[in-house]
Amino acid sequence: MEQERIRPDIGEALRYLGVTEDPDGAMTRAAEAQAEALVRSVQPRYVYRLFDIERTEDGAVLAGSGIVLPGDTAARMLASCGKAALLACTLGAGFEAMLRAAEARDMARAVILDACGSALVEAGCDRAERELAGRLPGLYLTDRFSPGYGDLPLALQGAVCDVLDARRRLGVQVTESLLMNPAKSVTAVIGVSDRPQPARVRGCAHCPLAGNCAFRKGEKSCAI
Amino acid sequence: MPSEFWKDRIVLLDGAMGTVLQQKGLPPGGKPELLNLTQPELLESVYKEYIAAGSQVIYTNTFCASAPKLASTGHTVEEIVAAAVSVARRAAAGTDVKVALDIGPLGELLEPMGTLSFERAYDYFRQIAAAGEAAGADLAVIETMTDLYETKAALLAVKENTALPVFVTMSFDESGRTFTGCTVASMARTLEGLGADAIGLNCSLGPDLLAPLLKELCRNTRLPVIAKPNAGLPDPATGLYDMGPEAFAAALVPSLEAGVTIFGGCCGTSPEYIRALRQALVGKAPAPRRYDAAGFVCSPTVPCRLDGVRVIGERINPTGKKRFQQALLEHDLDYILDVAVQQEDAGADILDVNVGYPGVDEAALLPEVVKKLQSAVSLPLQLDSSDPAALEAGLRVYNGKAAVNSVNGDGAVLDRVLPIVKKYGASVVGLTLDKGGIPQTAEERLAIARRILDAALAHGIPREDVWIDCLTLTVSAQQDQAAETLRAVRLVREQLGLQVVLGVSNISFGLPDRQLVNRTFLVQALGAGLTLPIMDPNQRPLMDAVAAARVLSGEDRDCRAYVARFADKAPAPAVAVPAADLTLEDAVIRGLKADAGRLARQALEQEDELALVERRLIPALDRIGEDYERGKAFLPQLLSAAGAAQAVFEVIRASVAQKGGAPVKKGRLVLATVRGDIHDIGKNIVKTVLENYGFETIDLGRDVPPETIADTVQKEHIRLVGLSALMTTTLPAMEETIGLLHSLPEPPVVMVGGAVVTPEYARQMGADYYAKDAKASVEIAREVFGA
Repeated sequence: MEQERIRPDIGEALRYLGVTEDPDGAMTRAAEAQAEALVRSVQPRYVYRLFDIERTEDGAVLAGSGIVLPGDTAARMLASCGKAALLACTLGAGFEAMLRAAEARDMARAVILDACGSALVEAGCDRAERELAGRLPGLYLTDRFSPGYGDLPLALQGAVCDVLDARRRLGVQVTESLLMNPAKSVTAVIGVSDRPQPARVRGCAHCPLAGNCAFRKGEKSCAI
Repeated sequence: MPSEFWKDRIVLLDGAMGTVLQQKGLPPGGKPELLNLTQPELLESVYKEYIAAGSQVIYTNTFCASAPKLASTGHTVEEIVAAAVSVARRAAAGTDVKVALDIGPLGELLEPMGTLSFERAYDYFRQIAAAGEAAGADLAVIETMTDLYETKAALLAVKENTALPVFVTMSFDESGRTFTGCTVASMARTLEGLGADAIGLNCSLGPDLLAPLLKELCRNTRLPVIAKPNAGLPDPATGLYDMGPEAFAAALVPSLEAGVTIFGGCCGTSPEYIRALRQALVGKAPAPRRYDAAGFVCSPTVPCRLDGVRVIGERINPTGKKRFQQALLEHDLDYILDVAVQQEDAGADILDVNVGYPGVDEAALLPEVVKKLQSAVSLPLQLDSSDPAALEAGLRVYNGKAAVNSVNGDGAVLDRVLPIVKKYGASVVGLTLDKGGIPQTAEERLAIARRILDAALAHGIPREDVWIDCLTLTVSAQQDQAAETLRAVRLVREQLGLQVVLGVSNISFGLPDRQLVNRTFLVQALGAGLTLPIMDPNQRPLMDAVAAARVLSGEDRDCRAYVARFADKAPAPAVAVPAADLTLEDAVIRGLKADAGRLARQALEQEDELALVERRLIPALDRIGEDYERGKAFLPQLLSAAGAAQAVFEVIRASVAQKGGAPVKKGRLVLATVRGDIHDIGKNIVKTVLENYGFETIDLGRDVPPETIADTVQKEHIRLVGLSALMTTTLPAMEETIGLLHSLPEPPVVMVGGAVVTPEYARQMGADYYAKDAKASVEIAREVFGA
């Protein structure tokens, strides 16, 4: 069955661009046009895997993966979870090529495309999350959270990609300086519980950086 | 087995190694290559199981044995490869099973996606290949590749440094593309051209989903074809693959009909799968192949099958173009890219690339231009040079199957250039002239074409890769020759069946209304059989004629492209400001590129270039800049204005170049994204805005080591450096760079910016300025240069 194509949230893309008002709708139209072209040729790809959680002194261990999630963030997020999923999602090299082509033509278009790309990879994570929820009837998911959020080390990114075989299955690499390549890629942890989970992460309202967010300077989306 | 054991017979490869090791209780993760040293017996036992199951070729456990991936292990490539080959050799002792040196991806992305250069990648692969041959491997397999460029580096490294036969397999998804967008046809035609011995698909999907792609692959190559699929798809909950040995074999064997002859398994497969395959293949023979022998050039993402009219864009060429010559002398690759982009957007199918000009080191520049173009243009390229060294350097770094322009009937030229064409699997344009000049009759040109074709065939270049240029002469000088050229086109098409090339616009030199003559000649030539017009795709009437010809020939089925081309030819929507009232300032502020360029040309009739920049352009940019700072305009609008300003600057540069004067420049600075940081859109934004205020930038790119920046500063006497970093993990590299720059005898001023940089960080790191955005960087540059 052909699934509906994944689309970016235009409002989110505009926020990444720092657009706070759009009286004549010109920015919205420009973002919609880029989103349309983007969705036609690029779709997020994702892989995820579910693990049992074993608790140790070092943190939550994802059984059989060799991954330990240390620190308060993971402890708090996974407090009532018996399982957790690791997720990787990317727009792939196709988006990078599209962005380079746009940059060579029109930087204005390119920055809008870049913002739409950030919103699209998030939408891809949302799709993966819904799919995961569908496989787990009667269970509840936590908000997803990523390496680099709170005290969850950014350095986990490489191990998460290894466990998910993300290089082979998605074409995602993690560089020595812990950057993901292709750039529009996300890794995340999602807790699975038998109890409903409160919102703890999603949205700027829960974000400690909300007042002075570096990611919101228009260059890059925050992964959460 | 015979020495070329892979030809005209069914061959069984092995299955996965990792899967079997996990079944035997080995925990996942770690460095599997180390097992060659620590647990050789375990590996040997797995190989023996594969051999017992029927594998005739076993892959060494060296998928990740490249220098960068082994760096942290304390072992060398040579050490690991030697151990791996000897384990496999021991398992194969006493059988005629072949040991294949397994070469996987490097795990670092190549330029332009990543920052690893093609040359560096080649060196890594050379090291593995040489070690494998020295250790006694029988052949090399390059596998699980997703980037055609990396694959090419690996294939060249094996072929140039060893005598090993080489198999190449890549991974595709259901859409028929690799992660980097490479098509099956592009892969097949490129790798066959480069001299692979067998090619195929591995990993990514199960045999059922791979079947249509294998069919497509078989149509696009004469080589033996390999299928080494996964055991279906992995289950997200368990990570286990969903297809058993019998189902796997049953789904894979039908590919024999399509032409596949070499079979094996990838992720999730084990000796059981190979045994099932062997049983399913008993009594079967290779099927006849149906190769599609069409002319073909390609980039990874754009396969260009020559089965109709294909327009070759002619604009990347300095002949008679002062502005282009200036760009070559100034090493302004952005300008050349811009010329390419315009032609791609205008509908060209292939781009001719000629950068030969007195004072230009063509053999150094051509590969650089090829890399620049393929970073942002997806069309296949035709490298145009009379310098064999330049051609070879350009073909080497080209990602795909290119064309070479040109050879001619002169034996010495053929002997020099054809071996290069053959080695890199290119197509070649043969001019129908020789030492005696251009023959005056069509028959004589046909004779030269025949000679060129014979020479190409003798060098092993397939017939469909030979294109003949029947030569357009200027009709106002040699009037009879126009008809003779058309006759030659017809003869070459009818008698040799080759692709025919003509440089269309040569016809009209010295005549009024050249476009009318060009268009009429183009239409006549297409009627005579011209397939590859070299022309200016920006001339819409010429492209319209091509569109119409494609309808009349039946190439444009149901006239779809033609209708689409003219469907939106409605009158342009009225603009808010009547064109007559639009000022240059308005055009810039509102980002109207075409209007800004037009108005700048008008303005230059009354004022000089400098006044135009200082009194009109810069104030307009300042106005939008202020709106941006006050939050009344946003980044895309600022950049639109910059784009329009760029159009004005282009008019000014052309005007200055025409007069032979010096370009308008206010100061030169270096921009770079620091070492370890691969995201560069922020730096590119700053560059765009600075350049449109008249500053000249030397853009060193991304992931730039401190030393490179310091060297450039010293060599070019740079007073201002802009550094960008996106991640907290790369701030130390920024600090190191600042320290190094400030220790120079003439330290430059350093400004820093980027997502994670704050004024406090900037101060702590010792930067002279913090630039919060592109607009701020302009203010800093003005202060530093007093401009």
